[in-house]
Amino acid sequence: MSNVELIPVLLVVAPILLATLPIVLGLRFERTGWSVTALTTTGLFAASLILAQRVYSTQSAEIYGLGGWDEQFGIVLIADQLSMLIVVLITATAAGLLAFTRLAGPRGNTFYTGYLLLVGGLLGLTLTGDVFNMFVFLEIVGLGTYALISSGDGPESAVAALKYLILGTVGASIYLIGVGFLFMATGTLNMMELADVIQNGGLDDQQLNLIRAAFAFMFVGFAIKVAQWPLHTWQPDAYQHAPDGVTPLIAALVSTVSAYALARIMFDVFGPEFLIQTPYAREIVVTVGSISVIAGSTLAVIQQDVKRMLAYSSVSQFGLVVAAYGVVTETALTGAIIHLIGHGVMKAGLFVAAGVIAIGYGARTVDEYAGLAHHRPVPAAGMAVLLIALIGIPPSVGFIGKWYIAVGAVEAQAWSVAAVIFLSTMLTLAYAARLLEKMYFTPARNVDPGSHRSTDAGSPVATDGGASSQTRGSPDAVSLGMLALVVSVAIIAVILGFAGDVFFELLEPFVDEVFN
Amino acid sequence: MTDPITSIRPLAAVLVSAIAMVLIIASYRYPNVRESWSVLAALAKFGIVVSMLPGVLGGDTYRWSLSDSLGVEFVAGIDFALEADGLGMLFALLASFLWIFTSFYAAGYMRGLDEHAQTRFFAAFAASLSTAVGIAFSANLVTIFVFYELLSLVTYPLVAHNEDDEARIAGRKYLTYTFFGGGVFLLAGTVMIYWLTSGIGDPTVAFQTGGMEAVAEAAGEEDNQIYAQAAFFLLIAGFGVKAAVMPLHSWLADAMVAPTPVSGLLHAVAVVKSGAFGVARVILDVYGVETIQDLPLSVPVVGEVGLNVPVAILAAFTLLAASIIALRKDHLKRRLAYSTTAQLSYIVLGLSMLEPIAILGALFHIPAHAFGKLTLFFCAGAVHVETHTDYVSEMAGIGKRMPLTMSAFAIGAAGMAGIPLVAGFVSKFYMLIGAMDVGYWPFALALIISGVLNIAYLWPVVYTAFFESEDRHDAKPLLEFPPGGKRESYGVMPGEQDVATDGGDRDADEDGESDEAADEDDGFAVDMNPSDADVPFGPPAGDGDDARTEDTDVHNETDHHADDDHAEHGHHHGGAPSGGWKRHSPFSESTWLMLMPISVIVTGAVVLGVVPDHAIFLELVSFVVEEVTGEVLP
Amino acid sequence: MIDLLATRYAYVLMFVLLGVGLYMMIANENLVKKLIGVNLFQTAIFLFFVSVAYVEGGSSPVVPADSNPGELLVASPLPHVIVLTAIVVGIALTAVGLALIVRIYSEYGTLREDTLREVRSDE
Repeated sequence: MSNVELIPVLLVVAPILLATLPIVLGLRFERTGWSVTALTTTGLFAASLILAQRVYSTQSAEIYGLGGWDEQFGIVLIADQLSMLIVVLITATAAGLLAFTRLAGPRGNTFYTGYLLLVGGLLGLTLTGDVFNMFVFLEIVGLGTYALISSGDGPESAVAALKYLILGTVGASIYLIGVGFLFMATGTLNMMELADVIQNGGLDDQQLNLIRAAFAFMFVGFAIKVAQWPLHTWQPDAYQHAPDGVTPLIAALVSTVSAYALARIMFDVFGPEFLIQTPYAREIVVTVGSISVIAGSTLAVIQQDVKRMLAYSSVSQFGLVVAAYGVVTETALTGAIIHLIGHGVMKAGLFVAAGVIAIGYGARTVDEYAGLAHHRPVPAAGMAVLLIALIGIPPSVGFIGKWYIAVGAVEAQAWSVAAVIFLSTMLTLAYAARLLEKMYFTPARNVDPGSHRSTDAGSPVATDGGASSQTRGSPDAVSLGMLALVVSVAIIAVILGFAGDVFFELLEPFVDEVFN
Repeated sequence: MTDPITSIRPLAAVLVSAIAMVLIIASYRYPNVRESWSVLAALAKFGIVVSMLPGVLGGDTYRWSLSDSLGVEFVAGIDFALEADGLGMLFALLASFLWIFTSFYAAGYMRGLDEHAQTRFFAAFAASLSTAVGIAFSANLVTIFVFYELLSLVTYPLVAHNEDDEARIAGRKYLTYTFFGGGVFLLAGTVMIYWLTSGIGDPTVAFQTGGMEAVAEAAGEEDNQIYAQAAFFLLIAGFGVKAAVMPLHSWLADAMVAPTPVSGLLHAVAVVKSGAFGVARVILDVYGVETIQDLPLSVPVVGEVGLNVPVAILAAFTLLAASIIALRKDHLKRRLAYSTTAQLSYIVLGLSMLEPIAILGALFHIPAHAFGKLTLFFCAGAVHVETHTDYVSEMAGIGKRMPLTMSAFAIGAAGMAGIPLVAGFVSKFYMLIGAMDVGYWPFALALIISGVLNIAYLWPVVYTAFFESEDRHDAKPLLEFPPGGKRESYGVMPGEQDVATDGGDRDADEDGESDEAADEDDGFAVDMNPSDADVPFGPPAGDGDDARTEDTDVHNETDHHADDDHAEHGHHHGGAPSGGWKRHSPFSESTWLMLMPISVIVTGAVVLGVVPDHAIFLELVSFVVEEVTGEVLP
Repeated sequence: MIDLLATRYAYVLMFVLLGVGLYMMIANENLVKKLIGVNLFQTAIFLFFVSVAYVEGGSSPVVPADSNPGELLVASPLPHVIVLTAIVVGIALTAVGLALIVRIYSEYGTLREDTLREVRSDE
């Protein structure tokens, strides 16, 4: 069926083209953005399911050469076992989040243009089979993200977006230097061609040096994008000051897809052999990851703002993923990918819950969460379940990722990594329990939480909800769809906890191919 | 052994209280409906567990697994499986049986104190039982890990129930300790086992009666020995946290801020026993007695010792040290908590001696201690609800206020001390024989000394309750003297002194309760007198369902703030009301919701002690020992 | 060292430029100048690509329309294409960055980062 072969292209092109639609239609109609985006993302989700079904049933990758060019020169899109998982995550998250943004905002057609652009960029980044093309999509994702972050009301969001822009651009540019070195060494930019050259040996010393330099640059570039300590500084600001409707999207997807791209580069292009042979490559990757786990959690514990705390938590969770990459075993790689997806789901849910709580209860800091369970049981319960999943308490998606990473680390006899992974439970517990305790076991005090941060990136809805809602939030601003979203994400996070083996089998062909 | 019978019953036993949890939350508006869900679920759970008992004793096991029924494995190569075998039945039977009575008691207790957030309490309670039975029936290390973690999680709301600073701090400590045990040690140990067994074939973590063959084989390889040893200690440490083996014990005493039914069923039975049960699983069904003996640990100076010896030494130390600490605790529940710490170490010690008779004793100690300690906690809780007395030093003469409760307490205490005719004797007897059989004299000695210490810390409670009166009681050794000694006797608590001297209003009392006044020095029934109403003293028995007066609430809160440091005696409101305890008959001392469970459980403790052969537990235990070691024991 | 400077001067220059851009971005308090630093940083990379593509004696990689152009010695076309694309991306980014800076200026009335920090901490 030739239609299926076109899906990879459609997945990338359709959202980018349709991104113009809200603006165009916006000239005539007031609010078309949401409907256009809803239709597009639902369509994308359906398409990605069809494609995924095909990829997993035939157990072979769909490779589509754009413009009919030869692989060596043209740009290819690759839909294989690895990328499809991420594609489904992207489309599902993008479609699901609309349930939140419909009422909570940000509103306006331009917002949805950015939304679609970001989704298109993410899908492109996931599907591309070309290292330079990857740079372009990295930048498109970046553009979309900067635009969305700055769509917040307060000026803080513009500052956060600019900070991210500068660091993000540097990250992508450093990656581009790596691409340059790779090109010097091999004369090609296609991932499969590159893998062929690098992994099949026969490289002279000069080439090897170039390739090692390329790896170093690419890793540093991605370390910025994935927000690894000490290059994480953009992330807490960006997550905190982005509008409530945007944070879930970027927290769940942007860094996740960057981390996926890093895996793609590390394992598909350079290959495990290269990583093992290169002196200190694994050690450095592992160290960066491990330090991020510890630093991220430690910083998360001391945060007052809930969104900021969750942002630092992302630093630490991605540290786990990067450390797992550095272990370079099949099981650890599988675990890293599962944790990537699981973390995406959980963080999306957590940030949506944080958003719902902010507009429905007016609480943004840990102290303001006191007594939440009593006043807003549903979002509190959803948040609690997701936090517990994040700690890695089974059955939850947080656990299975951690399990495979731990098994992989022990298999490789990387005891220090194993220790960090096991201890990360305690570190996550430290900040998760803090919030749980506030929500459930601290009676609410009669404080006025809104007063001192009225200028902060708030939700537009709260401001039009009347005077009273400005201080304590109003439950009326929370729609049934938002609550349903929180609850369903929480349920998904638990149900996926039983899918450890399913994920493993889906990824097995890819991982096998990489390691053999 | 025959192939396991595929059955949904193990899952049903786990899920029945999970469903009850949902129903409890759903019916939060109707307390009576809510509590009846607890009772119904408890009965259903017990029924399901019992229905599997004949089959299990006949050598069958019942198994339900995720991959058999849905075709998905939990994680690659590991099934999510529940299997009811002998050892699992022991724990499940115990937990589900005791839950029935605890749910009555909990209803009485929570209503008696008019506690807040009762729905959350009962829901979490049901969930705890669900996970406890899950632990009992887990067929492999990963499944047990899942339930072990969930158990830590669902008991947290119970520990932090009071929502004050003390409860929150206790909750934090509880989470830290239990997740360190579960999420770090236990998970690490499980991963190690998975990795070790993957070296010699398909990785597995499934329990096997008598020890996993794959583990034995993997441990046999020279290179793997150190990893096998590390995994053993990781697993033991993981379960040891919940079993409160020193130095990982201190959460237990703090967790006593929880309402008494929680301290009773969970922190004397379900939660802590899940730790002891886990140790049993590791020793008996993961490593197996022989493998442990084949893995010598070379210690400088001493030479090679078995892996079990360090564990046994730690357990022996714990049971002595905890008993000594218990001597100095004035807060009754804390004293009981340290007693629990000590008693749990009996189980660990018995198991780690690796001698069939000692294992028999250790396993039998699980139900024996459960019955005894539950009695003690229920009594402590009843005293708290009725008189708001938490401190041993204030309990002088309380025997006449709560005769049945304190009698039950006396019997439970006798069981703890290992006095014949009560449950504790049988198990300790076997353990002692086991210790002597293998020549572990130091451990036998530790068991005997600890028995003496048990009497030393529990007898004073009984003594002060029955043989002393409010205004004339001895100062308790170790408690009221600073170490080194100070001359003081026949003292009266400073806080009480002022109150006691005003003597109560004799005339007023005569009117109401003249016939009971005969053998009392001064006063009783002052709660009838409004002028003395500042002393918390519940309304007469029988109306526990009623909402209490406001000041009861206040006192309830302040009680929990009080530290067990006896410098604080004057600041809390327990103890005898001015004028002394009012005399009550066994039928009017509290509500039937609390008295019934106490009577049943204490009867159970006696039955286990007098005719252990007829109570099912001994049969079950010897069946387990026979399966594990191959030796047939009485 | 001298040898390196003599033969690989393009690369040396590129890294010098890279360093200047990076330093500007980090050390300069003015937001606009920071953005200029980023641009400089990117430009260095573009130059790097172009110099990679250089072929001794080759002409620019523009193929004549002639159907049979004969032997042509041209520089590698791929890096040029890449640089063209990257320039476009860079411009887009600069535009977004400037837009953000305009917004920051209109809200806070300053472009200096230290002042901005003060203003924000006062809130």
